[in-house]
Amino acid sequence: MNPADLPPELATPRAPMLEAVRAIAQGPLADQAYAIDRGTYPADLLKQLAGAGAMSAHLTQADGTAGDYPLAIQAMAEAAKVCGATGFMMWCQCVAGLYLQASGNPALMGDRLARHMRGDTLGGTGLSNPMKSFAQIEALLLKATPVEGGYLVNGTLPWVSNLASDHYFGAIAAVQVDGGCAGREIMFMLRCDAHGVALKACPEFSGMEGTGTYSVHCKDLFVGADDIVADPAKPLIARIRGGFVLLQCGIAAGVIQGAIDSMWAVEGQLGHVNQFLEDRPAGLQAELDGLLARVMKLAETPFDTSTDYFIDVLDARAHGAELALRAANSALLHQGARGYLMHSEVQRRVREAQFVAIVTPAIKHLRKEIHRLSAEEMPA
Amino acid sequence: MSAIAYRQYICHACGYLYDEAVGDPDSGLMAGTRYEDIPDDWSCPLCGVTKADFSLYEAPSLEALRAQAAGDALLKARHGAAGVVIVGGGRAGWQVAEALRARDVHVPITLVSACAADVYDKPLLSVAMARGLDPASMARESGTDAARRLNVRLMAHTQAVRICADTRTLRTTRGPVRYDRLVLAHGAQAALPPVLPARHVWRVNHLGAYQKLRTALGSGPKEVLIVGAGLVGSELANDLALGGHRITLLDTQTSPLARWPLPQAGQPLLDAWKALPITFLGGVQVAGVEKLGLRYRVTTTCGQVLEADQVVAATGLVTPSRLASSAALAWQQGIAVQADTLRTSNPYIHALGDCITVNGQASRFIEPIVRQAKSIAADICGGAPVPYVPKAAPVRVKTSSFPMTLSM
Repeated sequence: MNPADLPPELATPRAPMLEAVRAIAQGPLADQAYAIDRGTYPADLLKQLAGAGAMSAHLTQADGTAGDYPLAIQAMAEAAKVCGATGFMMWCQCVAGLYLQASGNPALMGDRLARHMRGDTLGGTGLSNPMKSFAQIEALLLKATPVEGGYLVNGTLPWVSNLASDHYFGAIAAVQVDGGCAGREIMFMLRCDAHGVALKACPEFSGMEGTGTYSVHCKDLFVGADDIVADPAKPLIARIRGGFVLLQCGIAAGVIQGAIDSMWAVEGQLGHVNQFLEDRPAGLQAELDGLLARVMKLAETPFDTSTDYFIDVLDARAHGAELALRAANSALLHQGARGYLMHSEVQRRVREAQFVAIVTPAIKHLRKEIHRLSAEEMPA
Repeated sequence: MSAIAYRQYICHACGYLYDEAVGDPDSGLMAGTRYEDIPDDWSCPLCGVTKADFSLYEAPSLEALRAQAAGDALLKARHGAAGVVIVGGGRAGWQVAEALRARDVHVPITLVSACAADVYDKPLLSVAMARGLDPASMARESGTDAARRLNVRLMAHTQAVRICADTRTLRTTRGPVRYDRLVLAHGAQAALPPVLPARHVWRVNHLGAYQKLRTALGSGPKEVLIVGAGLVGSELANDLALGGHRITLLDTQTSPLARWPLPQAGQPLLDAWKALPITFLGGVQVAGVEKLGLRYRVTTTCGQVLEADQVVAATGLVTPSRLASSAALAWQQGIAVQADTLRTSNPYIHALGDCITVNGQASRFIEPIVRQAKSIAADICGGAPVPYVPKAAPVRVKTSSFPMTLSM
């Protein structure tokens, strides 16, 4: 039967956005995945994906429809299955949108948010350092000194992704009073083209070079009320931290699924030897399916602020990274020499999995934070 | 237009697929070049072997491959050496390790503990002052030494986060740990009502917390307010009073040890305490605790205001449900186990000690633990069963000013 003959409600796929993302991923994105890994920033593809709604599904829609975190994670996974770097940049765009919307700041919400959701403008997140700071792993790198009408921000963030000269990202700075930290932080959208901001190229990474990653240098950058996301920052962070970490599971899920698919791709020819490998596609798929079921359940309540919930989110994210490493390595063992070729997606995925494991929050950060949150609180 | 669909040929040496639809333009073979039309001196663009090393490739269906891989026996054999993993470094955890080792010198045993897993006698926490014990040296054996003695792999200062029952993996803050059998011995934790915030009140449920409380009390006499006059609260009040501290003991009931009949327990205890600096306030309920400088102010719902240097909650125990719920274990105010085998609802998971209930009943005493551990070891190692039999044991109340034995 021709789908055009069906009534519209039956002809429309359940998640047309996912279909659109899949088409982009398996078409133009697949063609460019190697180039992106080597350094091409895919601005057009990101805009296409955003245009399809892939990076705004988790946000409250213009008509008031609630955000759908599970759908956003699935969309990210569809792209990350083909190109982990693109999945990661989608996450950057997703959380930048989350900051804009959660800010409650009219200057960030209306038209600016709408353009972001459509992908007319692109952005990222510089919260790697603050997240580690809040988990007592390192100190805040940006400092904000109060001045008339706002703050002057100084300091350097070593690497922030999905940037270009006209992009922006969410950042956090420690408020300074009389030369010392006031014990309060501000969160703001940092515009890369603002006066006092310089983007500098990072040293070469082993992969995922096309992610628009720069070190960001701020010299007396003025931040006014129109760019403030939260002041103080911590209450907002407490509200969005679950969603922030949970969305990253989409990157892991895609990398893992891509690895499993490439194991099946050689099963017919090499199954007779691959059966001696300890991780096999069926077992990994079952583990991924179990993990995804957990992630999808957690994604139903992304703004749950309880400690138990956040521990579950951190653990799911850690499990995703561990499984990505195992699956990507095992896929390389399954494919053998052909997977080790420079253009092979299989060895590229090993590096993508390593990225999932080391990008903030890295496996070690996740475990340390779970440890910290699990400790019994006693009087000081 | 070609009548026959394009086909693919696979290189036996490297797995390269020659797709007739795509050709091999780098070698001068245009898209659409049939395999038969490829010159014999053509070589594989990846590995260089000749055309003779290629054969027709028909992609097998994924379903067929899955069915074939599912019959793979090797897949299932590889979990064999994971051994027994024990969660909990208290008495219950170590007793299981000992009971297992007594039966099997080879089975790998891993013990995961949130603390250092030092071996100590918990009842001593109730009499340390009276006996003049130094809190810093109450451990009989360090966790490291016990692990060496029993040939146990100890993962100390490690949180168990989740049980993945399908892959028989325990997720921890030091990485995932596979198990053949899992034994939950993680105990219970203080049940703190919301009016007693954790940052203001002590709970004495393990050696580490007790040591910190003693350090906070310091050397001179202090005022200590204890909320809850059950066994633990009464014993602690008694012992700290003997150490010279002034104790206010609160309870919602009108006498201490209210679980037992007044003539048997509460009144004799109150009589014995007349010589000690213990004030019992019965029939009161705490409304809130706040910090005032270095001291704490406790208010009651009936309007009393009390101040103390330290506040201790002895308001009962509750079993943490994180691990049990992650494995969907049957739950009845605790991990529900079969009485005789201590098996949970998952055949690969046993549990014992303070975290279990038998027929909905918790029994948070020392005596049953050794018997439970032996039953579990027998069930795991095979051989003749050693069924555990729950029984009501007399309870020694270690109020040294008036020691008593209560029967249930």
